[in-house]
Order: sequence, then C-alpha cells, then structure tokens
Amino acid sequence: MTTPVESHRYDLELKGITKRFDDFVAVKNLSLSVERGQFVCLLGPSGCGKTTTLRVIAGLEEPEQGEVWIGGVRVDDMPPWERDFAMMFQDFALFPHMTVRKQIGFGLEMMKRPKAEIQRRVDETLATFEISEMGDRKPDTLSGGEKQRVALARALITQPGILLLDEPIGSLDFSLRESVMLELKDVQRRLGITFIWVTHDQNEAFSLGDTVVVMNHAQIEQSGPPETIAERPRTRFVADFIQGNNVFEGTVAAIEGGHARIQTASGIFAVPVDPSQAPAPGAAVTFSIRADILTSQPTDGHVNRLTATCRAVEYLGAIRRYDLVLEDGRSVKLEQFRSTGTRINEGEKVTLGWRVEDGVLHTPPAGAPA
Amino acid sequence: MSAFRQRSSVSYLLALPAALWMIAGLIVPTLFIVWVSFWATRRFSLESPLGLMHYIKFYNTPVYQKLVIDTVLQTGLLMGITLVLGYCMAYFIVGKVRGEGRKILLILLLIIPFWTSALIRTIAWIPFLGVNGVINQSLIFLGLIDEPIGVFLYSRTGITMAQVSFYTLMATGPVVYVMRNIPPSLQQAAQCLKASPTRVFWRITVPLTIPGVLIGQMLVFLNVMADFATASAIGGNKFTYLGNLVLNLYESGQLSFASVIAVVLMLTMFAGVALLLRVVDIRRLGAL
Repeated sequence: MTTPVESHRYDLELKGITKRFDDFVAVKNLSLSVERGQFVCLLGPSGCGKTTTLRVIAGLEEPEQGEVWIGGVRVDDMPPWERDFAMMFQDFALFPHMTVRKQIGFGLEMMKRPKAEIQRRVDETLATFEISEMGDRKPDTLSGGEKQRVALARALITQPGILLLDEPIGSLDFSLRESVMLELKDVQRRLGITFIWVTHDQNEAFSLGDTVVVMNHAQIEQSGPPETIAERPRTRFVADFIQGNNVFEGTVAAIEGGHARIQTASGIFAVPVDPSQAPAPGAAVTFSIRADILTSQPTDGHVNRLTATCRAVEYLGAIRRYDLVLEDGRSVKLEQFRSTGTRINEGEKVTLGWRVEDGVLHTPPAGAPA
Repeated sequence: MSAFRQRSSVSYLLALPAALWMIAGLIVPTLFIVWVSFWATRRFSLESPLGLMHYIKFYNTPVYQKLVIDTVLQTGLLMGITLVLGYCMAYFIVGKVRGEGRKILLILLLIIPFWTSALIRTIAWIPFLGVNGVINQSLIFLGLIDEPIGVFLYSRTGITMAQVSFYTLMATGPVVYVMRNIPPSLQQAAQCLKASPTRVFWRITVPLTIPGVLIGQMLVFLNVMADFATASAIGGNKFTYLGNLVLNLYESGQLSFASVIAVVLMLTMFAGVALLLRVVDIRRLGAL
C-alpha cells in the first residue's frame, strides 16, 4: 500500500498493469516509476505493448488490472479529459477545420480559461515555438515540421504534468528528425516536464532518454540509463535488439570463482557471473560481447579467443564495422575506430579476443528452466 | 507520366458518349420545356407565338404561389427531420456499433426496403396508416386511444411519415461515409486536451461531418421537392405539391402552363442547391 505522499516522489507510476485485446495480451503485469522531469523512452519492436502502455497512461485504453498514478493522484478511474497530462500523436492529430491559433487555444478553451488569458497565452506560445506567422493557417497548408511544432505547442500550452509522445518524429523526413529531436530535448529540459516517449528506434531512445525502457512481448525486458542498456543487456532479447552485440549460445561447463566457463559451438569462454545467481552447470545460457569491445589485436588479458575470416567491411565515419565468419559458419561483428588498429581486408583471417569482464551473461527469460 | 495529359484531346473523346447522352436526354428536353413554357397559346403547336401569357397567369394566381411555399415548407420539414434522424443513425452506426460485420449488416438492413420499387414501398404504407391500419390498431391495443383516428391516411402527417421513411437513408449515407473517414486520433486528441465527449462531439465530430450532412440534405431537398407519388398515393390527391400540379396540368393537356410550373420548380431547386453550396465548400469533402 502506497500513501499519496510517498507516491508523489514519482510523477508517473504504473503498478501491475495488464491489458488484453480479446486473446492478445498487449501489456502484462507492467510496473514503472518515473521521477519528475525525467525523459523516459519506451523502446521495443512493433506489437511489444509500448503504445498500449502509453494509451493506458492517457486513459484511452482501460487496463484490466493495475493502477495508474499521475502526479500523486490515482487516475485509473478517470477519463482522459480529467487526467493531468498532454499527448502528442504520431500523425499529430491536428484538427483540420481549425486554424493554428484556434488549435493551440483549444486545450485552454476546454479548461474554461478566460478569453483574454487564452489570447495572451496563445500569443506567447506561438512566439515561443516560432510559429507566430502561421497563426491563421489551417493544418493542410503546413509542412511536416510545422505540423510537428503546432502539435507540440498545442500539447504544452496547458502546462501538463507529463507529456506522452507516441513516435512523435516517426512521420517526419529523415533529414528533419535530428534537429527536431534536439529541439524537443531542449524544450523538455527547459520546462522540466516528464516526457514519456514511445519509439522503435534505438538511436532516438539512446540519444534522448535519461531512462530507456526496453519492452518485448507485453513486458519490460530491461530499464535503465542508455549506457547500461547498451553495455550490460540483461536478457538475450535486449542484446539481440540493440545493435552492436554478438550473442553466443552455450551450456555452463563449470563455475569457477567469479566466472562461468561456457561451452559454445565456437569454443569455451569465460564469462563473469554473480555468485548469488550463478546458473547450475549444464544449464543452457546466452551471453553477449559488444562489437566495439572485441579486439583484433588481443593481448595477454584477452583470454577469450576466436578465429574468424573477414567477409565484409562497412565504413561508418569514424568507425569501421567488420562482418566476420567464424569457423562454424556463424557471423560476428567487430567495430573499430579507424584511427586505432589496422584495417582488416576482406578474406583475411584474424584472431579476435576479449577479456573475461567484457562478456555479459543474460538472465534467462522468465518461466524458462534455469 | 500519365498517358492522358490534361489538355489532350483524347480525354475529351472519353467524355463524349456520356456528354451526348446528357445532351440528348437532359439538356435538350429541359430546353424544350423552357421553350414550351413561353408558348402563348393553349394548343400544342410547334409554331406557337412566344409570350409571357402563362407566366403572367402564374404571377396573378395566389393559389399557385401558395403551392410553391407549401412544397418548400414540406421539403424544409423533411430536411429537418431527416437531418436529426439521419445524423443520429450515422453516429450510432459509425461510433457505437462494434465490428465491421455488424456495421455492414445494419447498413444492409436499412437498404433492403429500397430493393422494391418506389410504388410498392409507397402503397405498403396505406395498410399502416388507414383507419383500421396497423398504427391505429396498435395504439388501441396499447390503450392510448379508444377508437381509430383518421389523422394518418390522407393527411400531411401520413405523407410526412412515409417520406421520412424513404428519405432518411439519403441523409444518413453521406454522413456515415464522412464520419468513418475521421481519424479516431482526432477525437482522442481532443479528449487529451480536456474535452468531454459532448464537447468532442460539437467541436470536432460535427464540424468535420458537415460536408456529409450537406450532401445528404441536398439529396433530400431535390427528391422531396420533386416527389409527387407519395402525395398522390398517401395524400389521396387532397394535398398537392408542385410535382402533383405539373402532373395534373399535363394530364389535362395544359402543356404550356405545366411547363411554367416545371420551370418554377427547377428554378427553386437551383436556388436551394446554390444556397446549400454557399454554406459549405463541397470540394473539401475528400480533403479530410
């Protein structure tokens, strides 16, 4: 039981949310706490439940189970129009029959603010978002980027406690996305509003989020700062979903001190384990090594070794990414700064190595045999 | 590139068959009616002198002018009733019925009566409206009245009831179409901006469905203005509208005066459509 005072530590709190559509479980027993002013990205493939979670917060979907708290108020019995939040839709959902000015004032009008106040605040908002000159235009005359600004202005003018964003830049031209991302981040920092941003694009999530919540199959796989998600993937799904991980499958041969020796098709490797949660010998496990931690010039510390043949080289600006083939036919990725290391040529055979502490052992999926 | 450029003469050729048909079947007869209305004789003769004789007769006879007003008022009444009924039906079908299959089933049920001919549909109302008809018997059975009342058949009430049943669908269909094309995110966005369902309805749904309402109302307007069959069958020739008058005059051989009334009817219809089009820009219909 949480008292309102305690729960107000969090701007948003979800407790045990479950939502089904007929037989399909969209969100399963999901809990999430977000502190005031945080930028949270819900990241996952399509159908993972991230948008449903957002719509449950908004009240556009009613959960079967669980509680939703916004700003210390339990809102799951309230309709959307009584909850303290604003939302940006993927298609912006601008009202086609209203001018930009009318559109932006709509929320305040619905809150029954005095006319003079609405006028003043709309003027201010138009100025803040640098859209004053389009006040009398209708949405169908606006470009994608302009629509995006109008949608953001319309959402923020009501000074909501939290802002929900459903793939807010997904429908913009690629060239626009980066500048819009920076702008949104800047707005979020200046206003100190909690942002809950849904995306399937990990670059978006990593560059914007204070916290990245990775979802799959209606549940949270891992939640944490971008660095943790990228460097210490908790589950195999996260390791596969986030680019730049090499995932290995194997069985535990032995537990020795702080690490497990894991037998894979490519050899035996040492991977660190938490002694309190060490898997039993013989258990099937997966682990991953980041492509940018592997080295093609191993030294004594790099006790885990692999032999591989280079198949392709990708040039990514400061980085070269190599696609290498192991002797068992599996593929491994290696990323190296162009400034360090020598270039590996296609068809060249190299020895790759990594230190024990570079490997990340995954927690098996819930319900799987340990 | 499209094979047909905008100014290519080929594209005009494509429109030719339909254009010929329209000219022969619609424009020429209409012009003929206008010509006949200016004949200054009572006889049918292609060599009649032209004059305003029949227009002057129309102008000097208040009964005929009252008939124009009656027709317009009846049409207005029908537009009002079908607007409200039709909009409610459309809102129910689009917004409240779950599942595409059920929506289509409901729309089909509405359309099925229109598979029979208009004449049968009209005559079918008579056993309902008569003194010993279904409505009177039902009301007696329910104890609401003691003996049959005659207000239904051969009355304006009866005509109106029948017309409402014929024309409500015309007001419903275009609204269903337009309402279905409103992205649900618009209503949701309004809710997220603190609008209650009532306000979402009046501020978002209604303004966005006005083009559909307008097209429906135009169909109702044109059809009720020209409807003479319902008034003949159910009104028992006691009530006449412009359409009935044209028919009566034609049957009694007064072709020129019938044409004058036909021209008046057409002009009224033009004026009505022009007025409706001024209210809303119909070209925005597809632009939602």
